[in-house]
Amino acid sequence: MKQLLEHLAKALVDDPERVEVRQVESEKSIILELRVAPDDMGKVIGKQGRIAKAIRTVINAAAVKESKRVVVEIVQ
Amino acid sequence: MIEYEAVGRNVDEAIEKALSALGIRKDNAIAEVIEEPSQGILGLLGSREAKVRVRPARQAGAYLADYLEKTITFMNIKGKIEIQEDDEKLEADIYGEDVGALIGRRGRTISELQYLLNVITRRQFSNLNKMVILDVENYREKREITLTQLARNVARKVNNEGHVQALEPMTPQERRIIHIALQDYPGVKTYSEGEEPYRKVVIAPC
Repeated sequence: MKQLLEHLAKALVDDPERVEVRQVESEKSIILELRVAPDDMGKVIGKQGRIAKAIRTVINAAAVKESKRVVVEIVQ
Repeated sequence: MIEYEAVGRNVDEAIEKALSALGIRKDNAIAEVIEEPSQGILGLLGSREAKVRVRPARQAGAYLADYLEKTITFMNIKGKIEIQEDDEKLEADIYGEDVGALIGRRGRTISELQYLLNVITRRQFSNLNKMVILDVENYREKREITLTQLARNVARKVNNEGHVQALEPMTPQERRIIHIALQDYPGVKTYSEGEEPYRKVVIAPC
């Protein structure tokens, strides 16, 4: 899950080396915290969150096989 | 194969110029230095600019196939990817047994993934002047047949009963299929109403 998010984010940003994903797992859910360079924030969010929404849809599709809820958080 | 030669004060600058002229990113390019820059004597006599030749390491189709292959592998999905390209579109088709997750409810996943692939491929190849289309197990073709049948059934009902009928929310591509299916259908007209993502087609008597 973490690798999938890194793979998507790295292809969207100008500075792939600064893409970082931290996975926080609890009993019921997995939280994926995505960090990118400040200048790349817009590239992973998109106009009106269009790109972030698409990323979440793809991650959720991959999460169907997991029994946990997967949440993507884009953090500063 | 398209190549581009550029000059600059140093090698990096020359490469940057060639990349932007070709509309590709560095990871997808092969650069060759033709001439190293030289300062000349006292920076005057015989000073020379750097000269490079750059060409794409692979075409957009090969990039897309490779990127998508990795994407579905990370999703734990096994599938075979085929690429078809013409003047208008670059299409990737995925075939396999457990590829249903890539389609999603009412095709939501396939359309969002297609959107991401468009953004990503265009970032690598900014000169790409065609749509990236994603299909999974011929879903789009099957969906088109289903939607065309649905449109005709509802149109017949509107003709018989004389009442306006609204269909369920659909993506712009799907609404387009409905409009086209009924454009010459006698006795009805179609239009869309509502805001995305809940925008839907209405079939009305005319």
